[in-house]
Amino acid sequence: MARSTGKDAHALFHALRSAYAATPTNLKIIDLYVGFSVFTALTQVAYMAIVGSFPFNSFLSGVLSCIGTAILAVCLRIQVNKENKEFKDLAPERAFADFVLCNLVLHLVIMNFLG
Amino acid sequence: MAKVSIFKAVITLLLPLVCLSFSPEEPTDRRILVLVDDFSLKSSHSIFFNSLRSRGFLLDIKLAEDPALSLQRYGQYLYDALVLFSPSTDRFGGSLDLAAVLDFVDSGHDLIIAVDASASDLIKNIATECGVDFDEDPSTVVVDHGSYAVSESDGDHTLIVSNDFIRSDVMLGETEIQAPVLFEGIAHSLNAENSLVLKVLSASPSAYSADPSSKLSSPPTLIGSAISLVSVVQARNNARIMVTGSLAMFSNRLFRSGVQKAGSPNKYPKSGNEQFVTELSKWVFHERGHLKAVNVTHHKVGETDEPLSYRINDDLDFSVEIYEWSGKSWEPYVANDVQVQFYMMSPYVLKSLSTDQKGLYHASFKVPDVYGVFQFKVEYHKLGYTSISLSKQIPVRPFRHNEYERFITTAFPYYGASFTTMAGFFIFSFVYLYQK
Repeated sequence: MARSTGKDAHALFHALRSAYAATPTNLKIIDLYVGFSVFTALTQVAYMAIVGSFPFNSFLSGVLSCIGTAILAVCLRIQVNKENKEFKDLAPERAFADFVLCNLVLHLVIMNFLG
Repeated sequence: MAKVSIFKAVITLLLPLVCLSFSPEEPTDRRILVLVDDFSLKSSHSIFFNSLRSRGFLLDIKLAEDPALSLQRYGQYLYDALVLFSPSTDRFGGSLDLAAVLDFVDSGHDLIIAVDASASDLIKNIATECGVDFDEDPSTVVVDHGSYAVSESDGDHTLIVSNDFIRSDVMLGETEIQAPVLFEGIAHSLNAENSLVLKVLSASPSAYSADPSSKLSSPPTLIGSAISLVSVVQARNNARIMVTGSLAMFSNRLFRSGVQKAGSPNKYPKSGNEQFVTELSKWVFHERGHLKAVNVTHHKVGETDEPLSYRINDDLDFSVEIYEWSGKSWEPYVANDVQVQFYMMSPYVLKSLSTDQKGLYHASFKVPDVYGVFQFKVEYHKLGYTSISLSKQIPVRPFRHNEYERFITTAFPYYGASFTTMAGFFIFSFVYLYQK
């Protein structure tokens, strides 16, 4: 049984990898960006778990900047993905402009809250 | 014209009287009222009185029943100290009574009470109000079969010898009293809970208070070292009271007499009475052991002005000057146990002050991390010295909003993460836009 589960996991993993390889490059770049900012957020949470939450506002500001920008990148990915029927009529430039504007507001708020 | 010249003469005659009282600048007493039962005490205690006069005191020896007696006139006290050598007086003459004597002490004046076996209730009540309880039975005296004075006749051992002195150079002088003190009189005891009263001369463990002429029917109540022969009280207003059960201790007879304690081979040609009484009276009349603390100053380190308030975590310097009265002038007081408290309901900082040997005591410390209204408190109560209780109030404020540290070290990773995210966003947008 264990060997067949191991083989199944391998097979699953390979299937996912090959399916993912088929996605367009721009989506892969967005995925990379999301992964990077979630990783940064997790690093900060791990640091807070060790040191304690003393300047809580700084902690929130750091974590929310990472999570916020990740969320905005995910929204960009949804709007830019050609396979999405809902956003067929939305120009990708418009989506990207929204993304940039929201990020600017986000980082303005973050700088203010960072202390 | 004549009226003006009479007026001028009266003024010049009265002028010396103005300088004749003790003041905070010169704390030694000047005028002493001595009340006696009869004037034979003037001659039987002449050595004591003359020694007081030679130290500059103005003695007024009066009969206790003198109808013209008064301690004060028009609200001013006429005397600085009172010596009661009148043990058998039931009523004072004039305007003097128990309440008047107690008011006299309460206003900061000194008192010496000496009784003997004929002590009246009035004198015993004065002593009780001062914290000293004489034996209630009027026929008892102190008897000591272990520590009595050897004499030619086989006495009833009521003339006893003691050298169990309190250990205090301030009260008894720096020279040790070699010869023991002769005592003949009644016993008193002190309440153990009273912190203001001290035993200066205790009886030996073999002493007891009983009637020497009758057989003891029950064990005596006052025995051993619980019996105090000479006690002093230093009141909270620094009035000093000396109480003793032996008027004879001050007499010429016991001053001049030689001493030999029973069972001891040492024979002293002169008893320690004169030295003991002289030194202790110097303490009682504020010739010694009187401190004053002046010039309480505090300021931030590096400044000289006294600020109106401090901020938490400030460094500050505190200083006070303490002087000791030497009998003639104020000398710097040198000690290493004066402390200052930074107090708000409880002392947040308690620091020992260091001295420069010239009377200046100072300490530096950091204001604690608590804000509120604090007091600098110096509470100094040393055995034999006047108590010092100073306090100076000062508010302490918290940080202003721009006095906190600008960047918090523990938050550096968060600062770094935020800037990294911004940089990442910037790079991402470039890469996304220009990728093929």
